[in-house]
Amino acid sequence: MPRPSLLKAHVKHYNSNLMKILKQIKYEPARVVGGYTDRILRIDLGKSDIHVQELSPDFKHKYIGGRGYALKLIWDGTTRETRYDSPDNILVMASGPLGNEPGFPGTGKFIVGTISPLTDTFIDSNVGGHFGPLLKLAGFDALAVSGISQKDVVVLVDGDARTISIAAASVYDEDTDEGALSFGQQLLQDANGGELSDAMAAVTAGIGAHNSRFGIVNSLFFDRRRKRIRSKQAGRGGTGTVMRAKGLRGIVVRSSLPRANGNNAVDKEGVRREGSKLKEVVSKCDSQQLNLGAWGTTGLSEFMDKLHIFPINNYQYGQSPESKNLFAQVFLERYFSKKIPDGCYYGCNLACSKGAENVELTRGPRKGTKVNIDGPEYETVGAVSCMGIFDPQFVMEYNWYCDEYGLDTISTGVTIGFFMECFQRGFLTADDVGYELTFGNIEAADRLLHEIARGKGFGKVAGQGVARGKKWMAQRYASRNGASEEAALAEISKFGMEVKGLEFSMYISKESLAQQGGYGFALKGPQHDEAWLIFIDQVHKELPTLEHKANALKWFPLIRTWFNATGLCKLPWIDVRNPEAAKTAEPVKNLPTLAYYVGYFNATTGSNKKLEDLLDDSERLYVLQKLINLRQGKGTRPHDQIPLRAMGPAYLNEYQFRAEYYDNWLKEQLGDGKLPGSPEERHKLLLEKRAEAYQQLCDIVYEKKGFLSNAIPKRETVEKFGLMDEQADQLLKKFGM
Amino acid sequence: MVVSIEFFGRQRLVTQTHSIKMPITGETRLNDALEYVRNLFPALHLDDGAVLVTVNHEMASLDRVLNANETVSFLPFIGGG
Repeated sequence: MPRPSLLKAHVKHYNSNLMKILKQIKYEPARVVGGYTDRILRIDLGKSDIHVQELSPDFKHKYIGGRGYALKLIWDGTTRETRYDSPDNILVMASGPLGNEPGFPGTGKFIVGTISPLTDTFIDSNVGGHFGPLLKLAGFDALAVSGISQKDVVVLVDGDARTISIAAASVYDEDTDEGALSFGQQLLQDANGGELSDAMAAVTAGIGAHNSRFGIVNSLFFDRRRKRIRSKQAGRGGTGTVMRAKGLRGIVVRSSLPRANGNNAVDKEGVRREGSKLKEVVSKCDSQQLNLGAWGTTGLSEFMDKLHIFPINNYQYGQSPESKNLFAQVFLERYFSKKIPDGCYYGCNLACSKGAENVELTRGPRKGTKVNIDGPEYETVGAVSCMGIFDPQFVMEYNWYCDEYGLDTISTGVTIGFFMECFQRGFLTADDVGYELTFGNIEAADRLLHEIARGKGFGKVAGQGVARGKKWMAQRYASRNGASEEAALAEISKFGMEVKGLEFSMYISKESLAQQGGYGFALKGPQHDEAWLIFIDQVHKELPTLEHKANALKWFPLIRTWFNATGLCKLPWIDVRNPEAAKTAEPVKNLPTLAYYVGYFNATTGSNKKLEDLLDDSERLYVLQKLINLRQGKGTRPHDQIPLRAMGPAYLNEYQFRAEYYDNWLKEQLGDGKLPGSPEERHKLLLEKRAEAYQQLCDIVYEKKGFLSNAIPKRETVEKFGLMDEQADQLLKKFGM
Repeated sequence: MVVSIEFFGRQRLVTQTHSIKMPITGETRLNDALEYVRNLFPALHLDDGAVLVTVNHEMASLDRVLNANETVSFLPFIGGG
């Protein structure tokens, strides 16, 4: 079997005896029936305890799977005092009832959920690959890890051998031990007699996850087409940091059971029928639309730049003449070496997981090494533009180093971009950093990336993320200049792109009020997997009133929550428009395709639900997540407020970049067409109008969601979804309800 | 008088150009621009429901009258992943 060049130097270290078993139990894997095993694997690393929790049938009906299971486990098993590194914090990994069906596109997703080191409340991140499906085939709907191990360990869930083990993490060499990809590949080989197999998958977290608050969980699997280990990332919110805080270096799962009809669907023909319909739409339409199958998500860069949404220089400018260096064709021609279908799980004909082989690193500690790179995704490209950099080679290297270190490319890029702007505006100095941290400075960005990963130099500060970085910067600036710390923080907060402690994903929301809400109300923080409404709002103009925007801000988070609860990828629904949608009243919902998903759910589980029923199920999860936020101190109206930069041109330079556009916008708002005389006055008035509109949006959205105007859910909302347990009752009483 | 017609992403593989100019009169409508492009580049897939027809990057009705120097483009539907 060919070995990727990255690991040639490490092969000599292979030795299965390195895996010292510390604890092992035998178990009988449950058979998957109708998409469920009705079991959760619970592991307490502090007590070295492994046990299998049987679930009552009610559990799945109420919490669906994926995010729903993670929410319920966190709600019941943690408290207001729980922090990311508390022993009682739980790291949950769960697919869902619809995960693992090669007959239907996009079924390799699973959720990693926990209390976040960035937000101190619930975070989850969805990720592709084979881990979720194999975990289910090995007999578990979810895996929940609590406690903290005193020594680094790995967990092995072997459905074939019918054992679950905690083993001491093997020690290799420095590069392998620090790297999530390198360590993961070695771990998979060690667990399988030196060979790679697609019956196995792993999750790992690297040294960057140990040294920063935005560590990721890598999901590793063997790609038979590319004949190498590939990786996908649970990127947002620091799930990898939690994994490392538990002393957990990796988890391997194995099952040789066939994937076909792995869910033992109640109506197998129904699954086949709905899957065929969706595959046909994807096959017919994707190549004519976003072309994700050929270009991956890098195809978005060009459209984002054209529409002033590309987050250049910490979201200051949405467009640049240099952006073309980061468009899809560049990556296709220079890096995407194999033009083959690249699904992250079997049966997905959207196949958007692009990758490159033998890319030589030109920077950093592994300079000169040839590596295999999975990506880049649009978000990574956007993160590099956020640092004012437009070099595709740097994108590739940044992508690989972040994955190898276990760092979120989004939070890393936004945090570096934030400090670059602090430097630009005179808050940060070269003495603070040790070098000139300027936009577009590749050497500086690269240096800071490695410092973050290793917790060295200025990386110790930057590795804390934007929310904590803002406070550090304000203190530093105030003490150096004898200024008010409060005033400094207020100024820095205008461009510190975070909400609830999480950094924004890579879209400028200034010109879409609906997307400002999409970011501000997102329960986990400003990640677009709750609502991405920019296009509908800005281009389609389908959300002209606050009422329209509020309706969208209720509907989209619910349907997107359902995808995150069921083990499904959203792309075949949301990014491939079914031509039949044009005949419906609301084409943006792509309802003809959603009908396939409803059919698939019913055929798998034996239910007879309508879309409205699925949305109700999702709303239960949404309200539960809101309760967790409330408990953790992140659930009221002030926590939904967004930085000035997210709602308009925070500074005059941004206003002047699109002065004509902004003047026209103001004229429309004012009605009489009379603009203030100076650009400064216009800029000030524009920001006042934007801030006022956002508050109006808050009022109407809370009402739609069944919340009071302070964003606290009404009692009847909690009761409606059967969530009023003692904890919820006490919590609401605490808030005077 | 002319309008500019832009091509993005995959469309450029067919058109081999970023944009073209189309002469217009005071009565030229967006639908005329769509037909103009279909005739010029039959290999482009601009079926109803497959792309968003925009003027100045905003969705527009096909019977909208075009003004000098406006920009027509055919955008894919982007849902945000």
